[in-house]
Amino acid sequence: MASSILKTEKLCKSFSNGGIQQHVIKNLDLEIKEGDFTVIMGSSGSGKSTLLYALSGMDKPSMGKVIFDGTEIQDKNNDELAVFRRGNCGFVFQSIYLLENQTVLDNVLTGALIVQKNSPELINRVKELLKKTGLDEEAWNKYPSQLSGGEAQRVGIVRAVINDPRILFADEPTGQLNSASGRDVLDIFTEIHQNGQSIVMVTHDLKTALRGTRVLYLRDGGVVGDHRMQNYGEDDLRERRNSLTSFLEDMGW
Amino acid sequence: MGKIFRLSLFNLRKNRKEAVAIAFLTLVSTVMLGIFAINVSKVSNAFDESFEQSGSVDTMIMIPESDYRGVYQDILEKEYGFEDIRRGNMLYGMASGVLRDGEKIAYNLVFIAKEENQKIDDGKIIEALTEEQLGTLEHWVLLPSYFRYNLGYEAGEDFTLVVGGKQYPFTVAGFYNTGFSNDSGMLFKILVSAEDYRLLTPSYTASVFLAYNADDGFDYREYFKKCMDESGDSFEGFGFLREDEKLNETRFLNMFLYLSIALSLITFVASIFMVRNKIRSDIEDQMEKIGVLEALGYKGKEISLSYVFEYVISSGIGGVAGGILAIMTTPFMNNGISVMLGREVLSSAKLYMAVPVVAGVIGLILLFALAKAAMVKRFPPVVAFRKGIRTHSFKRNILPLEKAGKSINRRLGIKDSIRNIRTGAGVGLCIFLAGTALLFCMFTFVMFFHGSDGLVRLMGLEISDDIITVNDGVDAYALSEELRSFPEVSMTRVTYAYTIFRIDGQKEGTAFAYDSFSDMEYIIPMEGRYPEHDNELMITLRRSRDYGLDISDTIALDHKGVKVNYIITGIVGSMSNNQMNLYMTSDGFRRANGGAAASMVEIYLEDGVDREQFEQKLSSVYGRSMDAAMDGDPAGGTPEERIQAVAAEKIAVLMSTYGVSGIDYAVRVGDRLITGNSRQFVMKDLQSYQDLIKSQLDPISDITRFFTGIGVAAIGIVVAVILGIIASSNVKKRRKELGIMKSLGYSSKDLMTQIAISIMPVTVISVILASVAAILFNKVFWFQLFGADIRTSIPVLILTDIALIAFTFIMTYIGAGRIRKISVNELMTE
Repeated sequence: MASSILKTEKLCKSFSNGGIQQHVIKNLDLEIKEGDFTVIMGSSGSGKSTLLYALSGMDKPSMGKVIFDGTEIQDKNNDELAVFRRGNCGFVFQSIYLLENQTVLDNVLTGALIVQKNSPELINRVKELLKKTGLDEEAWNKYPSQLSGGEAQRVGIVRAVINDPRILFADEPTGQLNSASGRDVLDIFTEIHQNGQSIVMVTHDLKTALRGTRVLYLRDGGVVGDHRMQNYGEDDLRERRNSLTSFLEDMGW
Repeated sequence: MGKIFRLSLFNLRKNRKEAVAIAFLTLVSTVMLGIFAINVSKVSNAFDESFEQSGSVDTMIMIPESDYRGVYQDILEKEYGFEDIRRGNMLYGMASGVLRDGEKIAYNLVFIAKEENQKIDDGKIIEALTEEQLGTLEHWVLLPSYFRYNLGYEAGEDFTLVVGGKQYPFTVAGFYNTGFSNDSGMLFKILVSAEDYRLLTPSYTASVFLAYNADDGFDYREYFKKCMDESGDSFEGFGFLREDEKLNETRFLNMFLYLSIALSLITFVASIFMVRNKIRSDIEDQMEKIGVLEALGYKGKEISLSYVFEYVISSGIGGVAGGILAIMTTPFMNNGISVMLGREVLSSAKLYMAVPVVAGVIGLILLFALAKAAMVKRFPPVVAFRKGIRTHSFKRNILPLEKAGKSINRRLGIKDSIRNIRTGAGVGLCIFLAGTALLFCMFTFVMFFHGSDGLVRLMGLEISDDIITVNDGVDAYALSEELRSFPEVSMTRVTYAYTIFRIDGQKEGTAFAYDSFSDMEYIIPMEGRYPEHDNELMITLRRSRDYGLDISDTIALDHKGVKVNYIITGIVGSMSNNQMNLYMTSDGFRRANGGAAASMVEIYLEDGVDREQFEQKLSSVYGRSMDAAMDGDPAGGTPEERIQAVAAEKIAVLMSTYGVSGIDYAVRVGDRLITGNSRQFVMKDLQSYQDLIKSQLDPISDITRFFTGIGVAAIGIVVAVILGIIASSNVKKRRKELGIMKSLGYSSKDLMTQIAISIMPVTVISVILASVAAILFNKVFWFQLFGADIRTSIPVLILTDIALIAFTFIMTYIGAGRIRKISVNELMTE
């Protein structure tokens, strides 16, 4: 049985705006297993992204605990969280967030060199990964503005996995892509997961959610549904879709 | 217009810190420029008004009484046509000792009887003891106003003169306003009673003065030449012109005012750069908002104006506050001018001059802001929505990370600096200007750190502990030899009375002659070598530049009509004697001045020797006054003492009248032998230039140290504010990018380090350029003002450069500290 890699205990996150407190995550208890491809779904404003950022140490919870591999991270300061993230987490964003003034290769290396020493092996690995995701040599020295959305997101994925993170977090990674590009990107996620990578992904897209092995449904700051699936490709896709659709309909999606 | 104004206020509230910083920089610029504008004319007016009020003539010449001829006055009357020439007598004492609080200080003094002074000025009393108090005083002096305003003397204070081993205790009766002789660098004119004038006469050089009002352009050097040609005699006289006095008295004040304007211009340039930089980065940062406003129907011009208003409001607040502060400093400036000038400041300040300064500062900022804000017009809504084309990078990838070394932060920082080369150029300009000013202030501050020592090195004079001037006929070499056997003495050097030589077409020069220049400490040729033969001399840097003279050129010195040629072997930087000294060997000196005999012995004491005690010893052994002996010193009552008094009288007469150089006597009275010699009359005068230098240079040193210290601090604050704003706006501009970096695991410290490193290339280049500029400026400044050759202290330069670079790094690092307060989430979703 897979071990727990990430756990929350009575996790709360609230925002204050104009003196009014808005509670986005409320007393949430959650456990994520190593090797899982966890998909977090929910309606707009349900707190999906907020939960993702709290789990990954990108943001601090208002109350409660976030335990990563047995270590509580909620009390770490910003710099300690940065050091924690660089060793444990990879991120793929909906807005991709490549560094506009850096080439494809430099974007990936910016992520890599904060953790690893520069070496020919590292450079080769970056290039291999880029090639693997369909970005050939011609693209390596391009700037983000010269890439299509799909190409850019693939760079984002390579940058996220280059340090072999314990968990890969993804926030609507196909949200800004057309369907073909989105499918390519999801295929990459599937492949990465099948190679043993733990993934936590936020989405509101059914096709994206189908790639996961576990779907959590969030409403009013709490998990109201937890749906398990086999690895993508190991079962019948139609059945998988029906089962997930049914779960989501039950959740009021 | 209202909505634009509201938009500006909204932006101001949002950018509070930057607005405060720009207001601060504008305030500093306006205060300094305002102070300059209000006071620059006051310095000149304060002198003129004080001079006018003194009722002084505008010209005076002073000639030693022994050299004066009646024909000299005739020349003024007949050749120059001057009327109402008043002739009178005064006493002159170079480096005259004065005791103050037990400490001996030396001034160049002239003494004049109070009634006699009416021939020169009104002697208007500024402050004095009451008639009742005055009645109780046996010996009083009236001091020129400089003593009250600058040196802090008070009426009723002791003023004890020390001359030739004797002390003359006086009391300060008060202070008066003099036209001439109110400058520590020249002379002080002291008023005494007619009785005390007679009392002091044997101890000082009796001189004749001619006071009159001359036409503009009167040249006393030319007049002296005419006098010497007419009489066939040579003399060394002093000329006093109102314009020269003004120049001497106001030189340092003006220097500080002009330095303050230089500092304020640096701050001003920095303010303008900051405003331009901020407007550009704000527009780039708020491109989407601009697009929205344009889409809503706001015109490009209106949006531009909202940015301009924002900075005009903040710089306007700073400018107006600066103008008010400049006006408020008037009483302090009056006091400062009064102290530095040594005169009462009567003129009212031109406070209205603050208005054009404030208007000019705000106007210029408005102009630059308008020019920069006009860039909004280049972005129609669609382009603005896309955040302009600048966010898209197509440049060649310089310093690819593939080839990064050990430090990714260093690599990314340097990459960033190359990327932002335009901002870097502006920052570089600020650092260059500030660095130049800072280095100049540091050089000067360090030079004056130990008081006047730094200036002493620029005088072009050898500064011994004591100088004995021997009586006529005394063998200075023999005395020098004798003094060397004293345990207190480490070295002696024989030299000649300072003699002025005329040179056709040039300013006259004071000659310094030594047997050898091998042990010189301060007279060091900056080019060439010391003179070795009797046809060689060294000139000053000022003479070299002013008259285009160089090594191996020949100049002819004229003394009493005898012209002798000399070859220039070296050039010496010198601040003293109008920067026109001449340096030659003793043989060379005698070539042009055949009758001269060595008459001075410079004495250097061993470390730890009490100079006061040593001087007392010299006075008791060598310092008996010949005049007093000839008048019959009050002798004791014993036969032996009476015999010694008579013998002394005879020796004094023989030495002073017949030029006898050494006398021994022996008188047998019964079985007792009474002996003696002329040794007791060897010393004519005992001076210490160290005391004179202390009185002349210490006030300059103190004020310069204070001013440059303030300058270093002010520049430091300005640089810190500029860098703080740059770093802070850098963070703001790069919020998203920095957020992405944080998400990748870069800590706030990493990112702050990168931002600080990004400013380093431009800092290092600017600091190197500033070093070159500061060295050149320092050289030009000291040469133009004082004819001095300044050698830049390389350790000070290197340490200041390192400190400036480190300061820049630290300030930028701290300025980027707002990164800490922003979470990754906030940064990216802003």
